[in-house]
Amino acid sequence: MSVIQDVKTSAPAPGIRDRVRGFAGRHRSTTIIVMMALIGIVLPILAAFPPFTLFQTQIGWIDGFTNAGVFVLLAIGLNIVVGVAGLLDLGYAAFFAIGSYTYAYVASPFGNSILGIDVAATFGDAVGVVFWPMLIVGAFVAAVFGILLGAPTLRLRGDYLAIVTLGFGEIVPIVFREASTVTNGINGIGGVYRPWLPGVGTFSGVDPMPYYVTTVALVAIVLVFAYRLVESRIGRAWEAIREDELAAAANGINTVSTKLLAFALGASTAGIAGVLNTAKLTVVSPDQFTFTISFTVLAMVVLGGMGNFWGVAIGAFVIYTINNVILHSLNEFFHGLGVPVLQDIDFIQLQFLLYGIALVGMMLVRPEGLFPNSRRKRELHQAIDEPGEDENTLSEVTEEGGR
Amino acid sequence: MKFARVGAAIAAAAIVVAACGGTANSGKTVKVGITLPLSGSSLASAGPARDGALLAIKEANAAGTVKGYTIEPVIKDHAVNGQYDAQQGAKDMTALVSDPAVVAVVGPFNSAVAKVQIPISNEAGLAQCSPANTNPDLTKGDAGKELRAKQPDKINYVRVATTDDIQGPAVAQYAFQDLGLKNVAIIDDLTVYGKGIADAFTAEFEKLGGKVVGREGADPKTTDFLPILTKFKDLNPDSVFYGGVTANGGGLVRKQMPQAGLGDLPYLGGDGIQDQNGGVQGSFINIAGPAAENSFSSVAAIHDIPDAAAFAEKYTAEYKADPGAYSASGYACMQIFIKALADAAAKGDITREAVRAGVTSGASFDTVLGPVTFDEVGDTSQKIISLYKTDMTAADGKGDWIFDKQIDYGAS
Amino acid sequence: MTAPAASADAPSARSFSSAGLVSVAQLAIVAVLLAGALLWMGPQQFVNALTLGAIYALIAIGYTLVYGIIELINFAHGDVFMVGTFLSLIFLTTLGFNGAITEPGLLALVLAGDFIFTMIALGLIGVLIERVAYRPLRNAPRLAPLITAIGVSFILQNAVQGVPPYFGFGPFNANSPQVFPTDWFVTLGNASIPVLSLFIIVTAVVMMIALQLFIGRTRIGRAMRSTALDRDAAALMGVNINRTIAITFLLGSALAGAAGVTFGLQYGVTNSGLGFNAGLKAFTAAVLGGIGNTVGAALGGFIIGFIEVGAAVAGLNRWSAAIVFGVLVIVLVFRPSGILGQQTGERA
Repeated sequence: MSVIQDVKTSAPAPGIRDRVRGFAGRHRSTTIIVMMALIGIVLPILAAFPPFTLFQTQIGWIDGFTNAGVFVLLAIGLNIVVGVAGLLDLGYAAFFAIGSYTYAYVASPFGNSILGIDVAATFGDAVGVVFWPMLIVGAFVAAVFGILLGAPTLRLRGDYLAIVTLGFGEIVPIVFREASTVTNGINGIGGVYRPWLPGVGTFSGVDPMPYYVTTVALVAIVLVFAYRLVESRIGRAWEAIREDELAAAANGINTVSTKLLAFALGASTAGIAGVLNTAKLTVVSPDQFTFTISFTVLAMVVLGGMGNFWGVAIGAFVIYTINNVILHSLNEFFHGLGVPVLQDIDFIQLQFLLYGIALVGMMLVRPEGLFPNSRRKRELHQAIDEPGEDENTLSEVTEEGGR
Repeated sequence: MKFARVGAAIAAAAIVVAACGGTANSGKTVKVGITLPLSGSSLASAGPARDGALLAIKEANAAGTVKGYTIEPVIKDHAVNGQYDAQQGAKDMTALVSDPAVVAVVGPFNSAVAKVQIPISNEAGLAQCSPANTNPDLTKGDAGKELRAKQPDKINYVRVATTDDIQGPAVAQYAFQDLGLKNVAIIDDLTVYGKGIADAFTAEFEKLGGKVVGREGADPKTTDFLPILTKFKDLNPDSVFYGGVTANGGGLVRKQMPQAGLGDLPYLGGDGIQDQNGGVQGSFINIAGPAAENSFSSVAAIHDIPDAAAFAEKYTAEYKADPGAYSASGYACMQIFIKALADAAAKGDITREAVRAGVTSGASFDTVLGPVTFDEVGDTSQKIISLYKTDMTAADGKGDWIFDKQIDYGAS
Repeated sequence: MTAPAASADAPSARSFSSAGLVSVAQLAIVAVLLAGALLWMGPQQFVNALTLGAIYALIAIGYTLVYGIIELINFAHGDVFMVGTFLSLIFLTTLGFNGAITEPGLLALVLAGDFIFTMIALGLIGVLIERVAYRPLRNAPRLAPLITAIGVSFILQNAVQGVPPYFGFGPFNANSPQVFPTDWFVTLGNASIPVLSLFIIVTAVVMMIALQLFIGRTRIGRAMRSTALDRDAAALMGVNINRTIAITFLLGSALAGAAGVTFGLQYGVTNSGLGFNAGLKAFTAAVLGGIGNTVGAALGGFIIGFIEVGAAVAGLNRWSAAIVFGVLVIVLVFRPSGILGQQTGERA
């Protein structure tokens, strides 16, 4: 927002570019929907041509884009918590798990037997129709757990919050694994119904297109919500808390409930991602929600640009694609080549080396991420570029900001 | 860094194109997918299965077994962060299904991946053969039907390894009847495989009249088993059974048993601890060291494969390494597909349905494992469990698994 | 100026408290709890818990030292410990020691060499990491160095894995020589206590006491305490901040090195993926005890050792990790700054 306003005031005779930016600023929701629609149409078309087809088929790409979309949703949700409100959540996968299981309980024979309902008998062939309301239910249930976890712990200082969320992220899969009479334990819940839509029927496991369109639409909707929230009073309260919690409290912001809201909204986005992912995989099991997911999503947020939703969405998309498509292709290719040394290098392992170097390098050179949020960028550069003078005040402010 | 990678990718692309142009012979090309976890710690066990399958393709292409066609492998690695990943496995299967030239798939390795792949391959009617899955729920009963919901009558998933509901009891019978053990303490690694085989073992062992004196689960990431073993010591077991794999603690438990004062007890496990000899880094015998003595394990497959020496010889000639535990299984899966492809080619055209129907027709396939047929849910008829014992003088004093006996459950 | 006010309100986590603050009442509580644990789990499990706890405590102290001085959760510390296990492995195998050494003189010599080599080498690695990955970000918002820490952790894991046939250990378990005989036992009633466990516990406790003395009694220790309390004031008083922080990393990493050596002796195995889990538990220990407080970290380490062993004794080993984190959450809800952490007043 602030960038756009700056542009408007500093350039009295706006060119086309500025006019577009001005329009985008005034009609944020429309812009997001148009942009997502464009991206949604362009990606599958691109995937039908080289060099994309050298890696895998167009369908393979579209399926990959859909999986990437799940991570984009997760990154957007975590961005609310970490990027906007400045609360470090290291157990984000727990909410992903809760959303996933919520859907599995309502939309599978095993889950129904536990809940004592039978959706298959109610809806017949169209049983997958429950997917749509379940998106909201999943978001709601995850948000409830977010509040349950957040209420006692959000009054902790930032670092303590980090370890508590980390612990929560470890506990949740263990509970799903060990409470086996109601969760089917480590075997997980299978036979989850795929979504159903009038005109499309039940989504196919072979054709990812309906899932892809659903994912693009969900990302667009979540983005609209996220932007609306951040630009509202609540969003400003989050930023105020991030930058200086004491000052925010002094200005009449109820810091606990505001933080709780960020936590709950972040959790609910993960819940939506969980419902979508389970509806696609048709199986949910405790070992899908490892700590790696929490860390990967955090890295996506940081590399993409904390605070900027478009940035983290692109960051998530790019990292997912590099991790899960390009490096695998390199691996497959070089291993098939039969050249010593080259065929022994494991590019998937190398991925983590590159990942590590990228994280360190990014923080040293461009800590605001690839696509930074303007205010966040100023904060970061202020702190790093002018450490000499008035260091006390600045470091105190930024430390508050991190909490 | 980034430019180097882009450059490598372009170079890679160029070579792929060149290679395709070079090797294409006069006939048509048919593709067989290989979907396994092939990076990180998974590579050690799944890599040999891939190599076995590739060897079979190479031989068939050289001999022109499938007339008029060249078989081209499409390898997909679904390990993410070095561990198998269900989401990636599903994506790879979708990609394979979407390529009309792919008529069959070898894989996966882990049951968790099979659970997400089977619904997809079933819907597409694409034949799939796993060299290593042993979880009974993938094929049998309601759980199996759930996975085949789209085309329940079209069995498309088969496997050459037999199931844990046979393997677990087989080890129990061996322990009770052959080794004379009566009081066993059990640790499992909390995974689908580990818990499953430990449960199957427990049920049979108790049925035979044995007693399970203790049962604990230990996280795969843990390295400290002394508290559990110390507790077991007070329960006076006469043996310890480990349900799980070496990498999750199979070797470590054995290594720590002497430290807990249980060093002289026999140690039992399934195929999860049956890996290479003591000279190979990370193998059970390598990790357990001298403590590996007096350990017993099983493999859910035939040991006396008809031509073991010949297979090992050509495998070693190709890859400069000994065959792994699943090399022959990967090879057998591919042999079955090659036979089905050849039959389909002889009848006319190779289609997915022709291959699928050929594999599941009930016909007997002559494989490196011996004759194999698949039953009405796709499980192998070859229900043979091989049992092994450690011998620390084998493999030039490094220690190795020595074949003891094999039990055929196929007849009953 | 805001500086005095700011530093007055944020000293809590930054000061290293010393052992002298532990009151008689607290010691009595600890003694009663220990006696109860001993009765419940028996001497052998009690020693198991102390051994495991000692290793966690040594790693946890590294977390707490670094946090105390620069308020950074050094997520790479678990992997630093992992590198330590490999350094010890390399030291022993290079010298050709692959099995137990039963000759006491030689054993003492080899162990001393192993500890000295691993602790110094790892300490220097710690200093290098600080120099490259953390120092440039000292004034950045705290999320920035946290992310580089995660990056460093990935890099360390990959450095150890390498490209297996050529260099590195790959992602597999690697055998670490158990030079200390594992079949030496002390018989205590009907329990046989491994001498190795006693050695590890004593070594760890000696190192912790030495650290307390170092921080409390030496010039450098004083510099560390003053830097932790107020970096700018310390700088004005002539403390070389960069050097002091580097020394803190040296100490923390060296203790992780000692933990690495003891880990190798006790379990005889290591793995490039080890750091994550060990680091997670040790970090939990540091927070449980009150992060920034070295005594608290040691206490937290032992508590987690007792919880894990207690879970096994109670037949709840499957829930082990959940119980550890459950206890952590409960403790933090009631004591938001950990067991020995000072309360933070208005910020709580």
